[in-house]
Amino acid sequence: MGSFLWIGLPYVAILTFVVGALLRARFYPLSVSSFSAQFLESRRLRWGSAAFHWGVLTVLLGHLAAFLFPETWQALTASRGFLQVVEFVGLVAALICLVGVGVLLVRRLTDRLLQPVTDGMDLAVLLLLLLQILVGVLVAVHHRWGAAWAPGTLTPYLWSLLTLRPDSSFVEEMPPLVQVHLVGAWLLLLITPFSRLMHVFSVPLGYLVRAPQRVLWATVRFAEKRAPELAVVEARRELVKGLAAVGGAVTLLSIGVATKLFAFFRGPDLTAEEELSLLQTRIKRLETTRRERELQLERMQKRFIPVAPLQELSPTEGKYFIDYQMRPALAFRDADGWPLLISAKCTHLGCTISSSVDPQGRLLCPCHISYFDLETGRPNPGSPAKEPLPLLGWVLMNDAGEVVARRLPGGEPESELSPEELANTTVYIVKDFEEVSA
Amino acid sequence: MNSAASYGGILAALAERLPLEKLSFRALVEGKYVPLHRWTWAYYLGGLTLFFFAVQVATGLLLLFYYEPTVSGAHASVEYLTEHVTGGFLIRNLHTWSASLMILCLFLHLLTTFAMKAFERPRELTWLVGVGLLLVAFLFGFTGYLLPWHKLAVNATKVGLQSIEQVGELLPAAFSDWPRRIRETLQGEAAVGQATLSRFYSLHVVVLPLVSFLLIGIHLLGVQLHGLSPGVDEPAKKQIRFFPFFLLHDFRVWGAAFFIVFVLGLCLPFESFYSYPLFEPYDPLGSTPDGIKPEWYFYFLYYPLELLPFWVVQLGVIFLLITLLGAPWIFRGASRRTLRATAWAAFVYLFVITVFGGWIYELFRGGEG
Repeated sequence: MGSFLWIGLPYVAILTFVVGALLRARFYPLSVSSFSAQFLESRRLRWGSAAFHWGVLTVLLGHLAAFLFPETWQALTASRGFLQVVEFVGLVAALICLVGVGVLLVRRLTDRLLQPVTDGMDLAVLLLLLLQILVGVLVAVHHRWGAAWAPGTLTPYLWSLLTLRPDSSFVEEMPPLVQVHLVGAWLLLLITPFSRLMHVFSVPLGYLVRAPQRVLWATVRFAEKRAPELAVVEARRELVKGLAAVGGAVTLLSIGVATKLFAFFRGPDLTAEEELSLLQTRIKRLETTRRERELQLERMQKRFIPVAPLQELSPTEGKYFIDYQMRPALAFRDADGWPLLISAKCTHLGCTISSSVDPQGRLLCPCHISYFDLETGRPNPGSPAKEPLPLLGWVLMNDAGEVVARRLPGGEPESELSPEELANTTVYIVKDFEEVSA
Repeated sequence: MNSAASYGGILAALAERLPLEKLSFRALVEGKYVPLHRWTWAYYLGGLTLFFFAVQVATGLLLLFYYEPTVSGAHASVEYLTEHVTGGFLIRNLHTWSASLMILCLFLHLLTTFAMKAFERPRELTWLVGVGLLLVAFLFGFTGYLLPWHKLAVNATKVGLQSIEQVGELLPAAFSDWPRRIRETLQGEAAVGQATLSRFYSLHVVVLPLVSFLLIGIHLLGVQLHGLSPGVDEPAKKQIRFFPFFLLHDFRVWGAAFFIVFVLGLCLPFESFYSYPLFEPYDPLGSTPDGIKPEWYFYFLYYPLELLPFWVVQLGVIFLLITLLGAPWIFRGASRRTLRATAWAAFVYLFVITVFGGWIYELFRGGEG
């Protein structure tokens, strides 16, 4: 319920207000006003309406200031004198407003002539306004100095709604009177497009940009004669209006883009932890690059490079290593227990082959689905790869650094001992087999 | 005498192709009209491509401020830009989205201008430069794909480069080594590494932009000098002035296009179309991930490469290149009806292979293995 009242209802109200007002202004432009009943009853209207409007405008101005310039407003109300004046003016205006809306409500309910032109919505609006102002006055009296506390509590709530990051924590702990006042405000907003409240949009600002009008008792002939002249004036006016709109839009866009670009170039303000983790990532990447360079150097300098201890090799799961040409390769142990070293660079388009052997004793290249037989390196018939994966030569060395077994590229394992007796040896790849003797 | 005559002929041909005397305010601004007929919408496509190119330049310049073209730093810098820099995610996402939309518009522009016979004399040069721009756009895509240096990018680039080498098998023995040399030159070292990244980077941010500025200049000059092609057999009854009316329409379309690409860039990460996390940095010791693919605009070439024997695709590509480059002469006598049918066929092929390529691939190859 709380989240509906503080988040759901506001959004429903704002959306209804915006969409409803736009639709009404678009499709029923002449209804954007309130029907006057002045010629039916004018005495009470004069007093009630004037009191209500002057009162409500004053009060709303205060609300708006706290909403738009919370910091300035807070700084101002920190001064005791200013606060007292503001609260006093606000309270007096609210009371005048209350009296006004009361007069209007009584007039609507009691005047005989007004009854036929009064519908439910008119009464609902007046009733809701009466309650809203009454509650507002009560808030001002019971929870005094609202001008000072609202900018830090209600304003953040409203802005959280408008910036689409709704945060109701500001209002959940508020006194019930304030909460009622808020709900009342959303309800008023909600019914605006369906009621006479729509007339807040009939403020005659259009007079500033429309062509000057003179009401004449004109004939058709007169109108036709003046038409070309009027068209020129109108076209010029439209051009000025269009240029003003484009200019305004370009200015706004430029300011918006410039501020965003400034933030982009300036870069983020990082927390200490973020900075730490970024540095760590950076160092890790540098390490990776350094390791790769070292591998390259090792391959240029050394005659033998260790792959793995023989015992660590498995017949089903290969171990990746880099061969003397800096290409990926895989190390297994074959059925007899000898090492089996096979190139892992696919002979089709050079992808790296995956390291697991499937139940049929094959290795898969995931790029274009070629299966290679582990024992021979041959691809399956019909696969994109045509050439077999080459088997690499190796030597086994014991701890003393003596070569005790070897396999030349394309040859068979050669040794005087059986694989079981060589369990503690290590597999090496060799730069030049001519230097190695079994 | 004879040489003088042929010299005169060359001059006349050049003068017809480049009527520079039309470079006047009157001819360019007051005399430029857009015909109104059923295909008028196609006149927006070139401008739209240009607009997306402008977005690419703007966002690309912004990306340059943070990108580091090194093997150890590339991925980290992209990550930093995306996750920490204000608006960095948006800029990068706009760059990828707008690239795709640019190539989409480019495809459509190519097909519609072909169907409208816009390559007809004297507009041959404009057409040829346009085909050049298409190739430049593909190169942009290929080089740009590598720059974030993640797993998918590097492996896909490896495969792409390796396919160049495959051409060697089909060449006569004397030339069979050339594609390998070309690949090694592009790649710069034994495996795809720092040298490759540096080369792709300089191609992507300096060389290709300069080339495309030049080509776009010539292309636009051609459009200015010759005006828009009539596009239909019957001369259009109505036309509107380019300045300011069609230009305003253009702006409106560009505004809508920017809105679309901005909302896409803001809401939908381009990577969300891939089924696995993309953001792992490339590891030279790891296996190639499953299902590496090029960007969608290479599918028209990629799926045939997967499904058909290589020499068939090779022949197809040669045939396509000859058709595109020779269009003004091959189709000189063709009616617009024929051209429209051809363009439709090409469109259907591109659409089907791009959208349903994965299914077709599964259908023919999925069962094996």
